[in-house]
Amino acid sequence: MGDSAYSFSLTTFSRTGKLLQIEYALNAVSNGRCSLGIAAKDGVVIATDKKVSSTLIDVDEVQKIQSISPTSGFVYSGLGPDYRVLTRSARKNSAAYERTYGEAQPITQTVKQTASLMQEYTQSGGVRPFGCSVLAAGFDEDGEPKLFQVDPSGAYFGWRATAIGKGFVNAKSFLEKRVTSEILLEDAVHTCLLTLRESFEGEINGKNIEVGVLEKGGGFRILKEEEVNDYLNEAN
Amino acid sequence: MSRDSNYDHHISIFSPNGRLYQIEYAFKASQSSGLTSVACRGADSVAICTQKKVPERLVDPESVSNVFTIVPSIGCLMTGIGPDCKALVQRIRYEANDFQYKYGYPIPCAQLAKRIADIAQVYTQSASMRPLAATAILISVDDEKGPQLFKVDPAGHYLPFFATSAGVKEQEAVNYFEKKVEDLKTSNVDDVARTAIMCLGSVLGSDFRGSEIEVALVQGKQRFKKLTEDEVEGHLNAIAEMDA
Repeated sequence: MGDSAYSFSLTTFSRTGKLLQIEYALNAVSNGRCSLGIAAKDGVVIATDKKVSSTLIDVDEVQKIQSISPTSGFVYSGLGPDYRVLTRSARKNSAAYERTYGEAQPITQTVKQTASLMQEYTQSGGVRPFGCSVLAAGFDEDGEPKLFQVDPSGAYFGWRATAIGKGFVNAKSFLEKRVTSEILLEDAVHTCLLTLRESFEGEINGKNIEVGVLEKGGGFRILKEEEVNDYLNEAN
Repeated sequence: MSRDSNYDHHISIFSPNGRLYQIEYAFKASQSSGLTSVACRGADSVAICTQKKVPERLVDPESVSNVFTIVPSIGCLMTGIGPDCKALVQRIRYEANDFQYKYGYPIPCAQLAKRIADIAQVYTQSASMRPLAATAILISVDDEKGPQLFKVDPAGHYLPFFATSAGVKEQEAVNYFEKKVEDLKTSNVDDVARTAIMCLGSVLGSDFRGSEIEVALVQGKQRFKKLTEDEVEGHLNAIAEMDA
């Protein structure tokens, strides 16, 4: 990729041994709207702040959480257009795996391939790193619910619970206090909503957040506005 | 050279605070034409309205237009640097027709917007090509989803709108529409067209003649069409009577 005029990498080492483009890309992620996720014993929940900048936007048609396969989903913080490239690539990889092996691709492999793509863009000529971090929800080889984070550097981490984007430090401490290894999906959804509400400007409701849920033994689905509102009312 | 943080103003790499200056500059460039465009959608129609500035008196006014038909069901309003706009329109037309050729049915507006936005994103990530200084507003009436209005910007963002604007007076137009958005959702085609014209009049602070603006709309199952000067005058007269 990249033209011959730019066949050198734009991400190069500084004198102190840092890859500044990657650090700056992480800054772009921290400027993005908060997203978070929790991997419970019986499922995974991912959620994001979907506030839009104007009432003129048809917010019902905007979807940040995307299903990658029937049993996995992504959400992001950072640059939306870059995220679309990653979801497209992950969908292709998932579908190709399923066609070859006749079963759903474990999320661990989807994550590795996505991370590998992101790493390529930190080393190839004429391109910049992706400006978004992705939270991936899915099942691993043993059918266990898992949550992963993939960063612009191409590094990926498995989490019990994590947050990315604006205010992620506070969100993560909030999650650390409330999430145990025994947490169940229903509680996890409530905890996600409470965590989002902590850093939310204004009133939180089913229209300005998005929640995606993956139940063990089931599929990935995005909650409807009414369902989100029901959960929010219960959490009060 | 690319280690030099000043390079981040020249090509699309990250600056220390995580911004992409080339994209921000592309937005500024797309306002350099000095024009403003507005668009709004109603119950069964979508209208677009933009200024028509003929650069010199000897130029044939018929050849000056920022409104383009992509396919009969989808129209496009371009704002930005002229040549970039024309290049983008060529690409949009190609993508729409390629879809029809491959899949056998007309491309839905949402998918066309996404495709164009994905192409715009590539320019923001690859150093070899600069982003185009052109914002595209795409409109259609979808047979499943009803009136559609999408805006695609140089950054590769695309969003569905009830009403939107692009160009120099973008923010003022958005402020105008935000007050009208609830009424717009149930408006008929004449009201939608008039709201668009009134919005442009309000942000530019002047009255127009029919030859100074372009208005186009798509309604129901009809094709995308530009209004003639007489039809525009008709709307302008109706607006004048409303205020009187």
